[in-house]
Amino acid sequence: MGKKVITRRDFLKVAAMTPFTGAWACSLKTKKGEEPFGKSGDDGKVKVVLIRNENVLVSFNKPDPAVIQRMLDDAVSTLFDVKDPVAAWKQIIKPSDIVGIKSNVWRPISTTREVEQALKRRVMDAGVPEENIGIDDRGVRRNPIFQNATALINARPARTHHWSGMGGCIKNPVTFVRYIPDYHGDSCSDLARLWTEYNIKERTKLNILLMLNPLFHGIGPHHFSNQYVWEYKGVLVSQDPVAVDAIGVRILEAKRREFFGDDRPLQPPAKHIFLADTRHGLGVSSPDKIQLIKLGWKEGILI
Amino acid sequence: MKRISWILILLFLIGGISLTGMDTKEKRRILEELLPHEVHGWEAKGKDELYNPQTIFNYIDGAGEVYRSYSFTFLLARRYSKENQPDIVADVFEMSSSRDAYGVFTHDLEGEDAGVGRGSTYKGGLLSFWKDRFFVSLYAEEETEETKKALFLLGEKVASSIQSEGEMPDIVALLPQEDLVEKSVHYFHNHLILNYHFYVSDENILLLDQETEAALGTYREKNEKSHLLVVRYPEEAMASQAFKSFTGAYMPDAKEVGLVQTEDMKWTAAEVKRNFVIIVFNAPSVPFARDIVEKVVNIIE
Repeated sequence: MGKKVITRRDFLKVAAMTPFTGAWACSLKTKKGEEPFGKSGDDGKVKVVLIRNENVLVSFNKPDPAVIQRMLDDAVSTLFDVKDPVAAWKQIIKPSDIVGIKSNVWRPISTTREVEQALKRRVMDAGVPEENIGIDDRGVRRNPIFQNATALINARPARTHHWSGMGGCIKNPVTFVRYIPDYHGDSCSDLARLWTEYNIKERTKLNILLMLNPLFHGIGPHHFSNQYVWEYKGVLVSQDPVAVDAIGVRILEAKRREFFGDDRPLQPPAKHIFLADTRHGLGVSSPDKIQLIKLGWKEGILI
Repeated sequence: MKRISWILILLFLIGGISLTGMDTKEKRRILEELLPHEVHGWEAKGKDELYNPQTIFNYIDGAGEVYRSYSFTFLLARRYSKENQPDIVADVFEMSSSRDAYGVFTHDLEGEDAGVGRGSTYKGGLLSFWKDRFFVSLYAEEETEETKKALFLLGEKVASSIQSEGEMPDIVALLPQEDLVEKSVHYFHNHLILNYHFYVSDENILLLDQETEAALGTYREKNEKSHLLVVRYPEEAMASQAFKSFTGAYMPDAKEVGLVQTEDMKWTAAEVKRNFVIIVFNAPSVPFARDIVEKVVNIIE
């Protein structure tokens, strides 16, 4: 029997119940849900921590090093239910690990050196010697640390994306891929595949989706205009890459509704996030399976 | 004999490599000549970069698929800088035809008409236009009054360097003008771009490829929006096959061939005429759908 063709009509069947993009989450379940990814919260839900701080940005793309360190510490401590952030890091990183911090160097909005260094500091506090820690993005395939990494920390900013709808934690390891266009089909719908094909899933210990200054709409070949960014001053942290992206995309969609004054879905829809759950079982995307813990500044939280 | 074969292969490879090298060098020269060295105090900075369909992902990530979908051949990127001002990035795409330059321009139509080239838009520090077989994107890393002025001057200079005007694809003229929403027309070839603008299916059920030409437009009647898709196939037999494939996958429950009420209580109507397939999605009523299809058929005939 051949693969079932999915058409627009399949989504219309559930569109009355959910927004169009969310339809991917509610329909076409082909993969049995797996156990929650990493640390689970109430009722076995996947924990995602959203932390915001009004004073985190010194300028547009420059976080205050002390504030971002504190935000990451609080988020990680909350995620693992411990008071000491180093104790939390020790739950996921062993001194014998070789650790790759998978960053993102996109010119308009990057992971930033401040975030990279805050993460590196805690990996070192967990007992990993500095020479066994690497920070890289586009060079990971040639980087010996990443080639031999036993643990990955996945950190990148959230933004809308020209071809996949949203660039988030699921997409970030795409630079491990030998030939990236292999994953471009149907608006990158099967990006989650790379997590198993390149042994990313087992090695990734933490996903950090930076929402400090997200891009909520893009134009032109570079998909950027400073008209479409805002200082949300938040960070999403979870062990589940799908759950952080699922929360992140909802914040972007809420910002688009607020900015444009109508319901303007992402173009293309970020269906790879929902298919990462329903088709690939990489994590969870449905809000009723996520325990979202909100810390810090609440004004304009949008979720 | 074996030795002669090897020599021939070697000569062929050397010839091929040097020909490619010459092509690239010549292409770089042609594209560089379209761009001025200086505009409104911004000066070219660093070395121009040349990309082809294989290397474009190193420059603009997944967005490269859009330009590959329109058979672009080369992209020249130049960065301009001015003290205490944001950089300006000029990207000149050479497409294989003016139809494709028009098509890639229609991919992103946000913004006001900038009056540059054959068609243009300006929004948020981005000026883009098409002329002849070129699509040009001029982008300021931050929008200011000064960058806006520089972008328009740069646009006018580049447009005036392109000598020919280029033709729009004639399939666009098959979209009836009545009720057609302004800036809603997209021209393309493959199902990746169709799905970007209007999601139809994860599979290529309309059998679109680089040889097919398609025009998509949005129609508004009161508060209802419908979408008209017209596809031209190289041969009538291919159009018939595509019609069968589409109706089989999209409307297997149709009580009448090519007409179905979808789950949102709207109507989808499809028809094949010569080497064209015509489809109206989301029509508020059967008469509305049939009326648009009939108008297209009349223009084809």
